[in-house]
Amino acid sequence: MSNKINTIGIPTEEEIKKAQIDFSPRCTSAGRVNDKETQKMVEYILNFARKHSLFVLAYGTGCGAIEIPATMTSRYDAERFGIRGAATPRQADVLLITGYLSTKTLKRVIRVYEQMQDPKYVIAFGSCTINGGMYFDSYNTIKALDRYIPVDVYIAGCMPRPESVIKGFIKLQELIKDGNAGNGECYRDNLDWYRTNQQKIIKNWDFPDKYNW
Amino acid sequence: MDLINNLKEVFEIEGKIKNDFQIEVEAKKELVSSILLYLKNQHGFIHLNHMSCVDWIEDEIFELVYIVWNPNIRKTVMLHTKIDRNNPEMENIDTIWDQANTYEREFREMFGIEFPGLVAEREFILEGWTEMPPMRRDFDTKKYAEETFATRPGRENAEDVRETIVKRTGEEIPDFAKKYSRD
Amino acid sequence: MEGIGFEILGALLTTILAFVVGMFFGGLNRKITARTQNRVGPPVYQNFIDLMKLQAKRTNIAHGFMGHVAPIWIIIAATTVLMFIPILHDGLWFRNLTFRGDLIFLLYMMVFGSLGMALGAGQSGNPNSAIGVSRGLSQMVGFEIPFVLALVSLMIQFQTTSIQDLMAYQHESGQWIIFANPFAFLAAILSYLGMFRYSPFDIVGAPAELASGPISEFGGKYLGTVMTGGSIFTFVKLVLMVDIFFGGAGNFGTGFWGVVAGLVELVVKTFIVYLIPVFIGLVSPRFRTEQAIRFFWKWPTVFGVIAVLWAVFL
Repeated sequence: MSNKINTIGIPTEEEIKKAQIDFSPRCTSAGRVNDKETQKMVEYILNFARKHSLFVLAYGTGCGAIEIPATMTSRYDAERFGIRGAATPRQADVLLITGYLSTKTLKRVIRVYEQMQDPKYVIAFGSCTINGGMYFDSYNTIKALDRYIPVDVYIAGCMPRPESVIKGFIKLQELIKDGNAGNGECYRDNLDWYRTNQQKIIKNWDFPDKYNW
Repeated sequence: MDLINNLKEVFEIEGKIKNDFQIEVEAKKELVSSILLYLKNQHGFIHLNHMSCVDWIEDEIFELVYIVWNPNIRKTVMLHTKIDRNNPEMENIDTIWDQANTYEREFREMFGIEFPGLVAEREFILEGWTEMPPMRRDFDTKKYAEETFATRPGRENAEDVRETIVKRTGEEIPDFAKKYSRD
Repeated sequence: MEGIGFEILGALLTTILAFVVGMFFGGLNRKITARTQNRVGPPVYQNFIDLMKLQAKRTNIAHGFMGHVAPIWIIIAATTVLMFIPILHDGLWFRNLTFRGDLIFLLYMMVFGSLGMALGAGQSGNPNSAIGVSRGLSQMVGFEIPFVLALVSLMIQFQTTSIQDLMAYQHESGQWIIFANPFAFLAAILSYLGMFRYSPFDIVGAPAELASGPISEFGGKYLGTVMTGGSIFTFVKLVLMVDIFFGGAGNFGTGFWGVVAGLVELVVKTFIVYLIPVFIGLVSPRFRTEQAIRFFWKWPTVFGVIAVLWAVFL
């Protein structure tokens, strides 16, 4: 097991280096047990509504954002699944991380992710989020996304075609139906593990102490 | 060719014609802004195309290249200068062309070249960077990337995915993929 | 069968009818837009699914008291206006408070919802909301003038301010008011384009331009409530237009099947009127605020003035 850091304040350099960071991800959606056994019927109806109306935040973080207009327009129509664009993080359900993330963008993406309201889902496009992809030896891009924010579905490709994107959304719909998706509460519970990882690479840390969830 | 002769009368340069539309000129670093201003006012090279920097680590020199373009006769002049690598300083040509501000800001962050008189924010692309300027050739970017960022376990070296799986489990590469494998 | 319980039941039924029809019209708007763009759109009941999902969010963030109250204000404004418009012409069902209302009251009650939205959006402190609110209120200065002129011309022509009397006139004389004073209809329908906030006048809530303006800090339950209020308000505006210009509905007697037939006729008529902003919105780009105000003060105002002159001299 790892030595967990006890305070949620900003840990010092020595503390970060000394903590044995456990590299297995904390919040995934695969194989999670749904423990809401008492409200099965209600959760079934609500999950039906959640999976058939997904509001995607219109924020293209990387080079994969060029596949999003192609998915939303006439040929590979994504609106028939109920997917539509949302303008602000307060209105959105799904955050699409489309491609590589530099440390500058990661700081803003974390802020955006924390502003979204539960239940919230993250879909990661491309091979840069899985293992670093084309930029595996770059001084500025991250190599494995789910050490920094929890991820539900990965879509492989560089960049994935619109058919793959729609298949990814359908996989997310299946996860929502089984009650396995949505890692907002898990993120809040394991916040200090995520903060350690984030503060290791984000050097100018100025998030407020009490963030408004 | 007249251009090179004309410049040789006024300044102390070496030049040659590279091809139909490109002329290479080499000068010392103190003459650069005068040459650029002369080209802009007298010969009509009014557009700054690009500025670039080359790191000759064996000779301990940074080589700066300025590329200017004349839209009337459609020719470019590429001006080379050499700066000392251990104490790099270069003159600021912000007053001749405004866009040089962004190029010089990038050089200051990525190579560490100082431009006295440059008015721009220190941080450009990298935030909170405390190491060596990353575009220099003695900065080991792969080592830095492996130390700072968490890697996916099992993918530390960027091997081909199919061959890794074959080595690990002993399966066969399917027929349609054989022409893409490196064997 | 008079009685206070009966009236409350009628009011509830009216609200539920407005809610259901308004949501279906929103879904039909998305479906028609999709089919025009040569793709399959979402199903017609998509707005209900959106509303269920928004209400099922587990955390809801509001910035202070006014931000909590603003969506409720919109529903209150929409429902209040709904109560004063006659839904069906004769009959005991759906009568609500129609015998007390008149056009002048409706004119100033219809802007109440925007006032609530402005207060709620201002509290969140987001500069996008503030800019969106100021643009929305400036546009309202634009489209209120032709609307008022159209209604005033009708009041002069028929010497009444009650919608019930206008519907009775159309019922008795057999002629719709759109033929009695066509310029009033033109002025009113052009100002409706601004009131619906579809293209070309959707600069208030444009997602790409302004991060959706006043509703940019609302999420979850609050956004669901705003959507509900918007749907009810859509139905209200359409029924007002149908009542004044197209003869109203409910001309089939007062039995149960007469009421049902009257409701079907109402839905068909409001849908036909609804197609006008939808189709104009499909093909139009977006106006800036000053262009929109200039548009409203040019031709729609001219039509309104001609309508007033028509009413006075003819």
